[in-house]
Amino acid sequence: MAVTTQKAPPATEARHRRPLRQRGLSFEGKMLAPALGVLAAVSIFPFIYIIAMSLSLVGLIGGISFDWVGLDNWTRLFSDGAVWASWLRSVVFFVLTVGLEMLFGIGIALAIYETRRGRNVVTSLVLMPMFMAPVIVGLLGRFLTDSTYGLYAWALDEIGIYNGDILGNTTSAFLAVTLMDVWEWTPLVALIVLAGLTSMPRQVLEAAEMDGASYWSRLRDIVLPMISGVIIVALLIRSMDAIRYFDIITNTTNGGPADATKIVPIRLYETAFRFFDLGYAAAIGLSMLAVTIIMANLFLRILKQRGLAR
Amino acid sequence: MTGLTRREVMVRAGAGAAALALPGALSACGGSDEGPTPVPGDEWRQFAGTTLNFISENTAPTSAIAANVKPFTDLTGIEIKFSQLELSALVQKVALDFASGIGSYDVIYADPYQVLAPYHAALAELTAFNEDPNLPKIQDLGDFIPTQLDAAGRFVDRERLYALPYDAPTLIWMYRKDIFEKHRGRMQDDLGFDPMPNDRSTWQQFYEISDWIRKNAKDDVPYGSGHQAKQHDSLMNDFSNVLWAYGGDYFDNGTDVGRYGSDAPGEPLLDRPESIEGAEMYRRLVSIAHPASTGWDWTGLAEAFMAGQLAMAAEWHEFAAGIESSKIAGKVGYARLPRGPKRSANMYGGTGIGINGVAPENQQKAAWLFVNWATSPETQLSNLKSEVGGGTPTRESIYELPEVKAARKPPSDMPNVLTTDAVFEAWQPENIGLRPKIAAWNECDTVIFTELSKMLAGSQSPESCMRNAKDGFESAIERAEALRKQ
Repeated sequence: MAVTTQKAPPATEARHRRPLRQRGLSFEGKMLAPALGVLAAVSIFPFIYIIAMSLSLVGLIGGISFDWVGLDNWTRLFSDGAVWASWLRSVVFFVLTVGLEMLFGIGIALAIYETRRGRNVVTSLVLMPMFMAPVIVGLLGRFLTDSTYGLYAWALDEIGIYNGDILGNTTSAFLAVTLMDVWEWTPLVALIVLAGLTSMPRQVLEAAEMDGASYWSRLRDIVLPMISGVIIVALLIRSMDAIRYFDIITNTTNGGPADATKIVPIRLYETAFRFFDLGYAAAIGLSMLAVTIIMANLFLRILKQRGLAR
Repeated sequence: MTGLTRREVMVRAGAGAAALALPGALSACGGSDEGPTPVPGDEWRQFAGTTLNFISENTAPTSAIAANVKPFTDLTGIEIKFSQLELSALVQKVALDFASGIGSYDVIYADPYQVLAPYHAALAELTAFNEDPNLPKIQDLGDFIPTQLDAAGRFVDRERLYALPYDAPTLIWMYRKDIFEKHRGRMQDDLGFDPMPNDRSTWQQFYEISDWIRKNAKDDVPYGSGHQAKQHDSLMNDFSNVLWAYGGDYFDNGTDVGRYGSDAPGEPLLDRPESIEGAEMYRRLVSIAHPASTGWDWTGLAEAFMAGQLAMAAEWHEFAAGIESSKIAGKVGYARLPRGPKRSANMYGGTGIGINGVAPENQQKAAWLFVNWATSPETQLSNLKSEVGGGTPTRESIYELPEVKAARKPPSDMPNVLTTDAVFEAWQPENIGLRPKIAAWNECDTVIFTELSKMLAGSQSPESCMRNAKDGFESAIERAEALRKQ
């Protein structure tokens, strides 16, 4: 059996030496090719399809049909006051949910980190909400805020804080769906931050403590800078999700009252599956995709600047 | 024995899987496009062995039929698979099924406004089945309540029938008899009219009664009235009763647009003074009703009524079945809705069942057997007695049966029949309320209930609400027209 003993050139050197047209897929490339092919089929084709939809009037009867309308759907999108209003609501909702989730999530993680006894039990209890399907959270929220038999509605009335219908009033409905999301996803932020906290070298904190640093100064000058990368990751994950918020609103207010909770995903769904105006819905969907990509890139840039992403 | 390499095992396993899959694939390729092959003989059993998919809103008649489908299977040898969904989910599935051309659902709960009007072209025309000598005919087509046959079954062309009336929920006035009787004398003295619902009762009186009860009968009930005023289809239904009562309408010749439907309904009339007056009255009604009204759809309203939160409401008559088994059973009276300056209007919410025109021909014929059976007098009577359903018969003959007549007075084993006097009044041509049956209705419906919701939230006046709704209607109709011409 012949054994090749010739020493292989370094990979970078070989790559430079071979002419461009002779370059084939590397071993890793070949291994990845099938998966990439499937990924392309399930993501690139639909992407092209949805772009074509956004440039067409889409008919459903007798099979799906496209009637080219050029940029009509896009022109309508940029001049549609109702969609802009939905974007404004989405921004407010985004800031409130993600802001509160980060605030409470970091707070809860710090509290759990400082807990010495029963930490596992506390962690398990805190994490519970995020294991529930959002649709169940919506149903639960609707039940608890119902003015006829809802516990929260009853409690707020008894305390004298609020006696109207929580989901029937514009401000309270918006706050209610925001808080339902916060309730469900704050534990995720807490979990991610807690993972960051537990990976910190304890010696640094102990040294600071021995030097007489207060809790707040340790938190401000040591803990937060050390877990900032993890916090940005949590922020990225929640941001991507918050922009697509849908289930809870659908199950509680369905966009009402007075459109107060009609954020962009609800309007997109309504346009696509209630009005079956699929061309316009495709344009709204693509605009959502663009915003999501811009946001993701923003976060990635921050991570890169901190040397946390390659 | 030579062992197999891993590669050989993979190759042989793949060949085996292909061999197993091939007969199925071949039979699929060689199958008839016409669906099951009919067997000569009994016209009801010619498609024995077939399975039909029935997609329906989760309503009382379908629950009743699903619980007792055995008589149909025994009669025909056909199995029925039921998909019961919330109406908006049903509309999506049906529309996408029509678009796919697959015909996954053979029998379709064809809501006249959300399915029949926009997608009638994809539904099978039923007259052809009724005239087919090899298929059983409908038992007396003229037995169906005429307005309902037109409203639930036809679209524009009065000769073509797409669905048979299957249920007939109608908004009527439900009130707590016990509370009204207890305070009748005091209310009459204070208000200057008899509060008991009658032919002359008006929406203004409804308002005054509601206001009186919330101020003077707190010990019996927290609020006088409630509404299904959530930003939802229910809000359009609730409001339309008042709109029509005050002489307003969605379109000119609204009765015909509601009964037969229209491809070109013309200019919306929502900005007319009568329509604005109706909107103003509705705003007043909700302003003194249970504050949770703006968060209730029809189910929320019914639950609150059954929980003793309010003394009266406009509610679908099919909820009587639930009410008569709740803690307020026997305490509720049913009447036609109040009048406005123009008339009394009672929203009709009935639906027909039709056949998917995309399905293979013989599958459609098998579906015809089910549609025919499900709307027959025997099945409608059985539904009425069902413990899980309740039914709202669409045939006049059912209401003439001695046992049904006897059930009109409490105690009744057919609670929905307790509402018969009220719904018969409501179904009179001069009292029935028929929303526009137009292709753009899904979007127009959303426009009107969204604008009304804004009005109820105080963010716009009744006048602005109606003007904005009119503009929204015009845009929606324009877009639907563009799609229709495609």
